[in-house]
Amino acid sequence: MKKAFYILCLIIVIGLFIAPLGYLFFVPSLSDLFAVLQNENTLKAAKNTLVVSTLVSIFCLLLGLPLAWLITRTDLPFKNKWRSLFCLPYAIPPFVGAIGWIILANPTSGVLNQWFGLNLNIYTLAGLVFVETSFLFTFVLLTALTVLDRMDSSLEEAARLSGASGLRVFKDIGLPLLKPAIISGFILSFLATAASFGIPALIGGPARIYMFTTQIYTYQRMGTSNGLQMSIAVSVILGLFTLGLLYVSQKFFGANKNYTVSGKTARPSFIPLNRWKIPITFFLSALFTIIFILPIFGLLLSSLSPVQGVWNFASLTLNNFTRVLFETEETARAIYQSFILGLSAAAICTTFSFFFNYFTYRTTWKGRQWAQLAISIPFSTPGTVLALALILSLSQGYFGLGPSLYNTLGLILIAYVIKYSSLSLKTIGDGYQQIHPSLEEAARISGAGWWTIMRTIYFPLLKTAMMASVFLVFMPVVSELTMTILLTGPGLETIGTLIFQLQEYSDMGGGGASVLSVLVVAFVLSLNLTLKILSKGRYGL
Amino acid sequence: MSQVTFKNVSKEFKVNKGVSSWAVKDFNLQINHAEFVSFLGPSGCGKTTTLRMIAGLEENSHGQILFDQDVVSDPLQKKFLLPEKRNVGMVFQSYAVWPHMNVFDNIAYPLKLKKMSSQEIKKDVMAILDLVELAGLENRKSHELSGGQQQRIALARGLVMKPRILLLDEPLSNLDAKLREKMRKDIREIQQRLNLTMVYVTHDQKEAFQMSDKVVVMNQGHIVQVGSPQEILNNPVNEFVADFVKN
Repeated sequence: MKKAFYILCLIIVIGLFIAPLGYLFFVPSLSDLFAVLQNENTLKAAKNTLVVSTLVSIFCLLLGLPLAWLITRTDLPFKNKWRSLFCLPYAIPPFVGAIGWIILANPTSGVLNQWFGLNLNIYTLAGLVFVETSFLFTFVLLTALTVLDRMDSSLEEAARLSGASGLRVFKDIGLPLLKPAIISGFILSFLATAASFGIPALIGGPARIYMFTTQIYTYQRMGTSNGLQMSIAVSVILGLFTLGLLYVSQKFFGANKNYTVSGKTARPSFIPLNRWKIPITFFLSALFTIIFILPIFGLLLSSLSPVQGVWNFASLTLNNFTRVLFETEETARAIYQSFILGLSAAAICTTFSFFFNYFTYRTTWKGRQWAQLAISIPFSTPGTVLALALILSLSQGYFGLGPSLYNTLGLILIAYVIKYSSLSLKTIGDGYQQIHPSLEEAARISGAGWWTIMRTIYFPLLKTAMMASVFLVFMPVVSELTMTILLTGPGLETIGTLIFQLQEYSDMGGGGASVLSVLVVAFVLSLNLTLKILSKGRYGL
Repeated sequence: MSQVTFKNVSKEFKVNKGVSSWAVKDFNLQINHAEFVSFLGPSGCGKTTTLRMIAGLEENSHGQILFDQDVVSDPLQKKFLLPEKRNVGMVFQSYAVWPHMNVFDNIAYPLKLKKMSSQEIKKDVMAILDLVELAGLENRKSHELSGGQQQRIALARGLVMKPRILLLDEPLSNLDAKLREKMRKDIREIQQRLNLTMVYVTHDQKEAFQMSDKVVVMNQGHIVQVGSPQEILNNPVNEFVADFVKN
C-alpha cells in the first residue's frame, strides 16, 4: 500500500508538475522563437522587464537589508512590532496596492495631487518601480531576517570586543555573512518582478510600459491563433530566462554555505543606536505610512466616496458597498467561486504534501529528490507562463485525452494546485523534520502498519503544520490574478479577476474595485492573524 | 589593587509586569591582577551572565562594576562603557571564528581596528600563532579547521589585542576529553607566562580546581563560596558545595 501510494504520487508529479510545463518548451519551433525575438514589441518588453526588475531588486536590497539589520541587531524600540508591520505587505496581493496608488497619484484626480497640490504621476517608470518595490522588498527582508535570526550572535560580539563599533560590525561581519542571503534576495525579487502581472498591467499599461507578462496577456487576448502563437513564444522566452537564472544562482551560490553555527547565546547583546534612535523611529514610521498605510487609505477613501475623483470626508457613504456586494450577481459568484477554489486547492495541496513528504523524509526510495525539485519549479515559474502551458496541454482534454477543461473552474484549480503545492510541501516538510523517526519505530514495534502510523502518529503530530499549510495556500489563491486572468472565461469570475476587470474596463466611476480591494485586504490580514494565533506564533507574519 | 571589582551587582529580568527574575543577585567579588579565577556552578546559575557583564555584552541592572578604579558600569550614574571600548578579550563556547576570514585575518582583526601598521600586525600575529601552536596555518580557511584548532584561533584573537583581562566562556566543552586535558594545561601555561588576568566559566569542577587560583562557586545567581581550590575542597561551606565538589 505504501509503495502504491508512492507510485501514485510520482505519477501525479510527472503528469501535472512536469509534463505540461515541459511540453510548452517544445511547442514553438526555433524559427517561431527567432521571429518573436525580432519583433519590436517583444524586444521592448524584454528591455522593460530587465530595466524594471533590475531597478526594483536594487531598491528592495537597499530597503530590506538595513531594515532586517535594525530589527535583529540593534536596540531599536518596538523591534517585534516593526518586524510584523514591515512583513505585512507580503500578505497583500500587489495589484490591490497598485489600485491604491492609482487612486492616490493618478495625474488627473489623484488624492495626493488634489489635496497637497502635488504633480505626482503613478503612470511612469518611476511609479511602476516604486509600487513594485513597496511590495517585493519583503522578499529580501524575510530572507535576511531568517539568516540573521539563525546567525550565531557571538560572531558579532567577538568583533565588538575586538574594538569594532556598530556600523563597523555590520560592514566587517554582518554584511559578508549575509552575502548568500543578499544574492538570493536579489534574485528572488528580480524574478518576482519579472513574473509580476497585476502592477505592470494596471500601472505599466497606461504608461505604455509593457513587460513580458503583460505582453503575453495582450497577445493571448487577441484571440487569434497568431496571437496565441506569439504569446506561447514569449512565454517560452520568459520561462527559459527564469529557469536559466534560477539554475545559475543554484550552481554558483547554492553551495555557498549559510554560516549559522550553533546560536548558543539566548539573548544577543544589541548595538546601541543612541542619538539615532529617535530619527530612525521617525523614519520607519514615515516609511511604513507611505508604503502601507497610504495605499490602503486610498482604497478606503475611494470605496466610501460617492463620486470618484471628488475627494472629501463630507460625503462618505456605504452606497458603493451595498451596490457592489448585493446588487450585482457577479460579486457573489466571484466570492463563492474563489472560496471553493481556495479551499479545494488548499485541501489538495495539503493532503498531497502530507503523503509525499513522508516518502521524502522517511524513505530512501529512488526519485523522491527530483520529484521534490519538480514540485518547486512551478512555484518559481511566472504564473503567466504556467497558465499558458496549461492552456496548451489541458484545454483539449489531457493532451487530447478525455473531456475538455477549457473554460472550467477545474483548469483554474489545477493551475493553483501546481503553482502552490511547493508552499505546502515546505511547511509540512519542516514539520516532518522535527519528528524523531523513533516515534514511528516505536509504533511499528507496537504492531502498527503504515496506514495506522500515518493516521495515529504523523497526522496528530503534524496537525499544526497542516493547518498552516491550508492557510498558506488559501491566502494567495483566494485573490490570485496572474494565472486566473488567462484561464478565466464567461461566468468564471474570481475575486482577483473581478477586481481587475472592474478597475480596467468597467465601473471606473463607481469605486467597485476599491470596495472589493478593501475587503480582500481586511480578509487576508485577519486570516494571517488567525493563523498566527492558532499556531501560537509559529506561522504567519 | 584589584583589576575587576563587583559591588552589589545584580541583573534583573522583567518576566511580566511586576514579576522579575534575577539572573545574578548581590554579587560582590574582587579579581586581582594576573589571577586565574573560575566561575563554577550548574547551568543557569548566572556564571555566564556575570562573565558577559564584565565584557559589557550584558548590562547590570543594579550595582557597580569597576576596572581598576574606573567605574565601567553603574546604572545609577547612567554609566556604561561599550564592549568595544573595554579592551577585554573573550573566547566563546561556540568559538565565534569568522567563517569568511582566514586564520590570519581572524587574529589580525583587533589589531587592524587599532590602526597598527601591517608590519607590526604581521609580527604580532605570527608571535601569537607560535604561542597557540598554530604556526603555518595562517592562510587556511578558518571554518575548515578542527574544533580544537578553531578554539586556538579564538584564543589567539583574544590574546593578540593584549587585553586587560581575558574571559573564557566554557571554551573546552565542545572538545573531546583528551584534547580538553591538553588545552587546560596550555591555557594555564599561557596565562602564567603572559602574567594575564583570566576569568574562566565552567560547570566542570575538575577543570576549575585544576586550573584556578581562585574558584567562585555559584548557585541560582548567588555566590555560595569563594576561595582557593584547596580551601573549597577541604572546607565546603554547605551541603551544596560539598555535593557539587564531591564527584
